[in-house]
Amino acid sequence: MPPFKAGLLKRKNVSQESKNSDAEDKNTTSGDEDEELVKGFLDEGDDAADSEHEEDGHSDGERDASHCCLLALEVLFEEHDSTLGDDEHENETSEPESSDLTDSEEGEETDEDEGDSSQDEEHVSSDSGAETGLRPTTSSGEETAGEKDDKKQNKQVTKKKNKQVIKKKNKQVTKMKQEKKRNNKTNSIEVMSATIQEDRLTAPVQQKDEYESGDTSDEEDRTNTVGDIPMWWYNEYPHIGYTLDGQRIIKPPQRDQIDEFLKKCSDPEFWRTVKDPQTGQDVVLAPSDLRLLERLRASRLPSDTHDEYEPWVEWFSREVLATPLRAFPDHKRSFLPSRSEQLAVSKLVHALKMGWTKTRKEMAAEKRKKKERAFYDLWSSSATPATGGARVLPAPKRALPGHAESYNPPAEYLLDDKEMKEWDALAETPWKRKYTFLPQKHSCLRDVEAFPRFVRERFLRCLDLYLAPRALKMRLTINAEDLVPKLPSPRDLQPFPTAEVLQFRGHTDVVRSCDFDPSGQYVVSGSEDGTLRVWESSTGRCVRTVSLGAPVTRVSWSPSSSLCLVSAAAGPRALLLNVQAGAGAHRAARATDRLLAEAPPQHDTRSESPASIHASPPSRVSHPPRSLPPVDERTSSCVEWEEVDATQWALGVRISIKHFKPLTHLSWHARGDYLAATLSEGASRSVVVHQLSRRRSQLPFRRACGLVQAAVFHPRRPLLLVATQRAVRIYDLVKQELSRKLRPGAQWLSSLAVHPGGDHLLLGSYDRKLVWFDLELSARPYRTLRVHGGAVRAVAFHPRYPLFASGGDDPYLVVCHGTVYNDLLTNPLLVPLKQLPAGEAAGALRVLDLRWHPHQPWLLAAGADSTLRLYS
Amino acid sequence: MADLGDSQLLVRFVTKQEQYAVPDSPIAIQSNVLSSDLNTLLKALLKETNPSLEKVPDFDYLICGELLCTSIAEHIQEKGISTEDTLEVEYLERFPAPRPQDCLMHDDWVSAVHTQGNWILSGCYDNSIHIWSTKGQHKLSIPGHTSPVKAVSWVSVTNDQAIFVSGSHDQSAMLWVWNSSNNSVDCVVTCRSHEKGVECLSVSADKQRFATGSWDNNICLWSTSLSDEHNAPAKKKSRPEQGKIREPLSTLKGHREAVSGIKWMDFNTVVSSGWDHLIKIWDCELGGLKQEIAGNKAFFDLDWSPLNNNIITASADRHIRLYDPRSTDSIVRTTYTSHNGWVQSVRWSTTKDTLFLSAGYDGQVKLWETRSPKTPLYDLSGHEDKVLCCDWSNPALLISGSCDNTLRIFKSKHALQ
Repeated sequence: MPPFKAGLLKRKNVSQESKNSDAEDKNTTSGDEDEELVKGFLDEGDDAADSEHEEDGHSDGERDASHCCLLALEVLFEEHDSTLGDDEHENETSEPESSDLTDSEEGEETDEDEGDSSQDEEHVSSDSGAETGLRPTTSSGEETAGEKDDKKQNKQVTKKKNKQVIKKKNKQVTKMKQEKKRNNKTNSIEVMSATIQEDRLTAPVQQKDEYESGDTSDEEDRTNTVGDIPMWWYNEYPHIGYTLDGQRIIKPPQRDQIDEFLKKCSDPEFWRTVKDPQTGQDVVLAPSDLRLLERLRASRLPSDTHDEYEPWVEWFSREVLATPLRAFPDHKRSFLPSRSEQLAVSKLVHALKMGWTKTRKEMAAEKRKKKERAFYDLWSSSATPATGGARVLPAPKRALPGHAESYNPPAEYLLDDKEMKEWDALAETPWKRKYTFLPQKHSCLRDVEAFPRFVRERFLRCLDLYLAPRALKMRLTINAEDLVPKLPSPRDLQPFPTAEVLQFRGHTDVVRSCDFDPSGQYVVSGSEDGTLRVWESSTGRCVRTVSLGAPVTRVSWSPSSSLCLVSAAAGPRALLLNVQAGAGAHRAARATDRLLAEAPPQHDTRSESPASIHASPPSRVSHPPRSLPPVDERTSSCVEWEEVDATQWALGVRISIKHFKPLTHLSWHARGDYLAATLSEGASRSVVVHQLSRRRSQLPFRRACGLVQAAVFHPRRPLLLVATQRAVRIYDLVKQELSRKLRPGAQWLSSLAVHPGGDHLLLGSYDRKLVWFDLELSARPYRTLRVHGGAVRAVAFHPRYPLFASGGDDPYLVVCHGTVYNDLLTNPLLVPLKQLPAGEAAGALRVLDLRWHPHQPWLLAAGADSTLRLYS
Repeated sequence: MADLGDSQLLVRFVTKQEQYAVPDSPIAIQSNVLSSDLNTLLKALLKETNPSLEKVPDFDYLICGELLCTSIAEHIQEKGISTEDTLEVEYLERFPAPRPQDCLMHDDWVSAVHTQGNWILSGCYDNSIHIWSTKGQHKLSIPGHTSPVKAVSWVSVTNDQAIFVSGSHDQSAMLWVWNSSNNSVDCVVTCRSHEKGVECLSVSADKQRFATGSWDNNICLWSTSLSDEHNAPAKKKSRPEQGKIREPLSTLKGHREAVSGIKWMDFNTVVSSGWDHLIKIWDCELGGLKQEIAGNKAFFDLDWSPLNNNIITASADRHIRLYDPRSTDSIVRTTYTSHNGWVQSVRWSTTKDTLFLSAGYDGQVKLWETRSPKTPLYDLSGHEDKVLCCDWSNPALLISGSCDNTLRIFKSKHALQ
C-alpha cells in the first residue's frame, strides 16, 4: 500500500472519530437545551454568563477540567484538523459533485475552524468580562476598588494559570489556523466539551448531519432577540432585550461619571474596554483585536498572516505544460467577440454618426461656439444660403449709401442751380431724377430733420419686392463631350486601312464587282465594258482579261481553295470561269478543268433528295421533296444549263447557266458547291439555287416575297438570307421554313453582308443607312450607323480582322471597327475608324463593290471611274 | 527653340578616316549651321593641317550616331543633347551621288533583276528573261516560262559559261546555262514542286544550292548542279525544251501565307519573310525553324547583310524596318520612313555595311544610310511608275526595274575604288 494511501486511511479513521464526537456534541446540545442555551447566553454576553457560572458554583477546577477536556478536544482537532476538511470532502464529494457545494462546504469548515481558533480570544475576553461582570452581583456597586482589585487578583491568579495553559495550547492552534471571525463557537465547544465528558462512556451517538451543529450554534448565538434596532429604544426600560425564552435581559447597572473616572484611574484595561450596545456590557478588546484595529487604522490588510508579497507562481503561462492545470478547452465566448458588446458599440457609433450623441470634444466645441458672440454682417454681398424646405430667395440688397446721402455731403454732391432746375423740371416724373432725395448740407447731425417720407419709402420698397417675384433659374450644364459615347481611340484599333496604295487600271467602264481569290494573291473584277479581269493583288498587274460579251454585274471567287473557279454574272448568264488557266496555280486549274469537263451522269441528277443535303430548297417549296422529279417545268422554264462551246472554253468558261431574266447577284455557299443567283424582276422565281456537282437548279420560293436584292448563304449554318426591298428573311434550309424576318427600318436595302462569325448582319441601304443586326439579340437593328452622305451600295466584313467597310455614292468609303464578343452579354463594339477617299464619280455612282483581302487588312473598292483601288 | 539658332556651340571634329584627320581641339561655331557650312569649315581646316591633300571630298557628319540632315541646333534639340558640352562630330567622306547611267527598255513590267560581274539578268512580266551587259547591251531574251517571271538570280558567271535560275508564277523555277561566247541559252533543269507561283529565290554563297519561296507558303531548297546525280529520275516525262525535272532537296513548311522574300545567311541558314507578318530563320540541315521575328505588317521583301548581320525588310506600308536577328525579341531597331507608297524591294550594299537601297510604289529608289532614319542619302528618281525591284549586287551599279517597262542603272563612282 502506498504511503500516502495509508495516510489517507488513517486520516479517515481519525476524522470518523472526530465526526462521531462532533455528532455527539450536537446530540447532547440538542439534548439539554437549557444548559446549552444558558451557556450560549453566557458565551454571547460573556461577563454575565461567566459570572453566573461562577455563581453557579462551577469551580475553577471544574472549569479547568472542562478546559482540559476542551484542550483535549482541541488537541484532537489539532491532530486531524487539517484532515477534517479533507474527510468532509470525501464524504461529501461522494454525494453532490458540484464544485460550488464543496466550496461552500469548505467555507463552513473554515468557519468552524475559525470558531475553534477564536476560542482562546473568547476566553480572554470572557475572563475580563467576568471580572467586570462580577462586581455588580457580588458587591452590588458599593465595593471599593481595592476589594475588587483583590478579588480580581485572586481570580486572575487562577485565571492566569488557566490562561497560560490555554495560551500555550491556543498558540499551537492559532499557529495553524487562519484569521478568525469572532464568533460564539466557544460556547458550543464548551458545551461540547462538557457533553463529551458526560457522554464519552455513554451510548454511541447516532450519525447526524454536520450542518446541524452550525445551525444550532447560530441560533444559540442570538441571545438578545431584539434584532437590529437602535438600542436607545430601550433607554426607558430596565432591560435591554429578551432571551429566546422571552425573559428580559436586565441592563447592567449604569455607571455615572465618577464611576467612569474611577474606573479609568483604576482599571489598567480601561483603554481597551468598549461597550457592547446590544448588551450594555463592557468588553475588553483582546490584543488580537487591537492588532486588527491598528492594522485597519493604518489601512493595511486586517490579517497580519496574509503575505501580500508572497512569491508569484505563474500557473497560467505560455509554457505548455505536460499535465495542464486545466484540461478543459477555452470556452467559445473567450475568443468570440461579444455580440451584445458589438451591438452596444454599433448603437453608439450609429448615434455618433447620426449626430444624436456627441463626443465630449464636440460638446465642448459647441459650448465654445455658443459662448462666442455672432455678429451679423449687414453689408456682406453673399446672401445667406436658404436652409432646408422651400428655397427662400433673399431680397436684392439696396445699394450702399453714397456721399450724397450724407448729412454733410461734399460740395460737389450738392445740386447747383442748373441741377436744381433739372430737379424741378422732373417734378412730375420723380423716378427720372438723379437722386430719390435732395442732398442737403447740415452743419451737424442734430440739424437733420426727420425723414418725412420714410413710411412711404418703406412701403414702396416692400411693394417692389412683392410685385417683382423672384425665381431661381434652374440651369443644367451639359458638356457636348459628355454626350459623345466613350469609344476607344482608332489608334488602339489598328491595323485598318489608312491610305490608298494601288490603283488597278484597265477597265474602260464602270467596275461593277470585284473579289479576291481565297489566298489573296489575285483579284477578279467585272465591269460594264463586258470584260472580266484578273489582277495580281500586290502589284496591280492585270494578269488576264476575259471578254464575256455582256456587262458583268457580279463576280465572285469560289470559296474552295482547291478549285480555281470564278462565277460571273453576265447579263442573264451565270458563267463559271477557270481564269487561272494562263496564270497562277496550274494544278488547281487543271483539277478544276477535269472536274468540270463533263457533266455528271443523268441518274445522279435525278436521284437527288433535297432534304438530305445541306442547301436543299427552303420553305414554300412547290413540291414535297421526294414525290416529284427534281427538275420540274417551273425550274426548267427559267434556268437552262448551256453547253459550253470551244471558243468559250478557250476563254475559260467552263459552265454557263442561262436564266430567263438578267442576274443581279451571285453568291457562293461556303463549301463552294452551291451558288445562289438573284434575278432582277424575277418575281417568285427571282432566287435560284444552283448545285454545281449535279448541274441542277432549284427554285426555293413559290411566291414572290418582294423585290429581292440579294440572296446569300449563311457562312456557318444552313440558312439562306434573302434581302428584299424592306426586309431580310432568313430561311432555314433543313427545316425548309422561314425562321426569321428582320426589319431594318430602311427604305430600300442595297446590300447585305454576314459576319464571318455568323451572328451578325450588316445591311446597306439606298437611304444612306448602315444597319447592324445582332441576330442573337432581336429582330430590331442593334445599331443604325449614319456615316454616309449618299446611298450605300456595298458593305463588307473582313473575314479575319474585326473590320467592316461600306461605300456608295459618297465620296468616301468608311472603315469601321466591329468587335463581336463570344459572350452574349456584351454588345458588339462599333467604332467608325476612317474615311477613305473613293475615286471619282461617274454619274451618281462612285463605289459599287467592296471586298476585304482574306488575310491582310486591305480593302479593295470597285469604282465607277473604271478603276479598282486597294487601300491599306 | 528659336534662341538656339543664335547660340554658340563647341564642337570637336573626329574621324575614322585617317587621311582626313584634323586636330581635335574644340571649335566654337554657330549652332544653326548646316552640314554644308560644316563642309566649308572642315575644308578650310584640312587645308591648314594637311596642305598636301590636293582634293578634299565632301563629308557627312554624324552627331550622336545619327547623320546630320538639318541644322545642328535642330538635330541636337531632337536628340535632347545639352548645348553646354563640347559636341563630338564625327565626319566621314560623303558617299558620292550616283549618276544615272542607262535605261534599258523592256516590253513589259520588269519584276526581277540581278547582276553579277558585267551581266545583268532581268525578269519580265511578259514571261521572258533578259540578259544585258552592264554597258546596256541587250544580249538575249529568253522565253521559257509560261507566266510572269518573279525572281531571277545568277548562280555563277565564268568566262564563257554562266548559270542562272529563274522563278515564275507558273509554279516552277528553272536552272539555265548561258554560253556567253556563242550567246546560246539552255534550260538544264526545271524545278517543280510548288503548288503556286514562285515569288522569290536566293542562291547560297557556295553556289551549291538555291532556295525558292512561293505562294503555296513553302520554301524549297534545290541543288544547282547541272547534272542529275542528286535526283533519281523519278519522273521522266521531261519535255525537251524544259530540260530535266528536278525534285527539291527539302521543303521548309511553316509560313502561313505567301513567302515573299528569302535570303541565305550562311551555307546552312535561310531567312525568309512572309505575308503572314513573320520573318523566319531556318536551319536547312535540320529543316527546322531557328528563330522567328514577328512584325505587324505583311512583308514584301527582305535582305540580310553579311557585313553587319542585320535584316532590313520592306512591308505593306511606307516604312523600311531594320531587325537584328541576334536579339531574341522582335523589336524593330530602326524604322526608315521616306517613301510615300509601299516599299517593294530592299537590298543591302555588298561593300558598305551602312548603306542600302530601297524601291517603292511611289516610283522612287532611295539610297539609305542606316544612321539616318528620316532622310535618305539620295533619291534615285527617274521611274514613272511603281518600282518593283532593285539590285546592288555589283557595287558600282544601282539597278531598279519598274512598272514603266524600264530597268534603270545608276552608277556609283565611289564604289569603284
